[in-house]
Amino acid sequence: MADAALNPRARLVIALMLAFGIAAVRGVAVLPVLVALPVLVALAAGQARHILRRLRGAALLALGVVVTLTLISGETVLAQIGPVALRLQGLEAGMLIALRLLSIVAVTLALLAPLSPFQLVAGLRGMGVPALMADLALLTLRYLDELAAELRRARLARRLRGGRTGWRALPDHAFLLATALIRAQARAERLWSAMRLRGYGSGLAVDLAPMRVTDWGAVTAAIIAALALVMLDRAL
Amino acid sequence: MHLPDGIVPVEMALAGYGASAALAALALARVKALPDPQAEIPRVAMLTTVFFAASLVAVPVPPVSVHLMLGGLMGVMLGWFSVPAILVGLFLQAVLFGHGGITTLGLNGMIFCLPALMAFGLWQLAGRRWPDLVALAAGSGAVLMALAIFAAIVLVGLPVVVDAGAERVALSIFLIAHLPLAMAEGVIVMTLLRVLRRVEPRLLPHG
Repeated sequence: MADAALNPRARLVIALMLAFGIAAVRGVAVLPVLVALPVLVALAAGQARHILRRLRGAALLALGVVVTLTLISGETVLAQIGPVALRLQGLEAGMLIALRLLSIVAVTLALLAPLSPFQLVAGLRGMGVPALMADLALLTLRYLDELAAELRRARLARRLRGGRTGWRALPDHAFLLATALIRAQARAERLWSAMRLRGYGSGLAVDLAPMRVTDWGAVTAAIIAALALVMLDRAL
Repeated sequence: MHLPDGIVPVEMALAGYGASAALAALALARVKALPDPQAEIPRVAMLTTVFFAASLVAVPVPPVSVHLMLGGLMGVMLGWFSVPAILVGLFLQAVLFGHGGITTLGLNGMIFCLPALMAFGLWQLAGRRWPDLVALAAGSGAVLMALAIFAAIVLVGLPVVVDAGAERVALSIFLIAHLPLAMAEGVIVMTLLRVLRRVEPRLLPHG
């Protein structure tokens, strides 16, 4: 389903369909499907290891949700460890939220992480996102690494010069940010001149590749999978 | 303070998409009414990139480190442009960094865009007369408003099995833990706008 040659627009639609299908799950009976679905998508995309690495943050959050809800919610006590009671209803609710979260993040990463910034924006444009927003996304992605590196360098330089710490350092952070914004303004003026010289009109040129039969097939399969998941959830 | 995927019911997530789409349509209509909106795109993109990059770095605010939201500052500096800029930023954060979520993009849009527009309105209303006070209120107020919207969404969206009392205690702890962020953002926005008024007033709607 997530073939490397899939159209970016198809990938975005598939990601949204599967994500909303997973988000619609209400019962614990289909939890095994929530595990199987992202595994299948990740394997098909050949991204399993990469996704596992990037799931760490979401996994920590999911663990926090499970532990918290198990401790504070529900009537049926599963186990009592000293003053702490582990509750069944909280565990179920926590597992449901955690698996929905992990499953959606894994599917999103498997489908969208392989796209280059340019392909991602082309996909957005193909889905009807206004040119202004697509251009904003493209330019933001284009300059993000550069500006983030500038900010990091400025912060490091401030620390090396023995800058203030704690609350007293807040004005220094504001000065760094102000400098970055002033530089960004100057850069934006140069960029606008260049864009006008290149004949910028209604949006930057993004390659809107047409959807092929395989793309439509993958989108249809994703819609069917999402609907089947919801129907199975409601039936069980 | 991003709402992750899977926390709220799908109906709420879809409603969030609807609300954010309506807000984006309104903002884009306002933007298109400007004399030359296309000329603003590089400036808005550059400033969005700076806000985006700055929000990725943790700033030490004892006793913790916080990630700045900068919603109030975006509202003051970008006006109606802040809505498409924030939505684009949230989408990229969800896809590239796993912050927030793809199904909760609409709800997160409301959490961040409404405070930015509040800050913009505040600055338009009284920024010329009391710039420092309004900057402080815009910076801190945007964080507090975002916290309030976030808390309201979580209260409505969490499963009924969660004990209401425990939920309220957890949310209170969460809100109190974010108060240093609100104060820090207020100080940063006030200082930053003071610098910009002196050095580069063109960056402000009415320097």
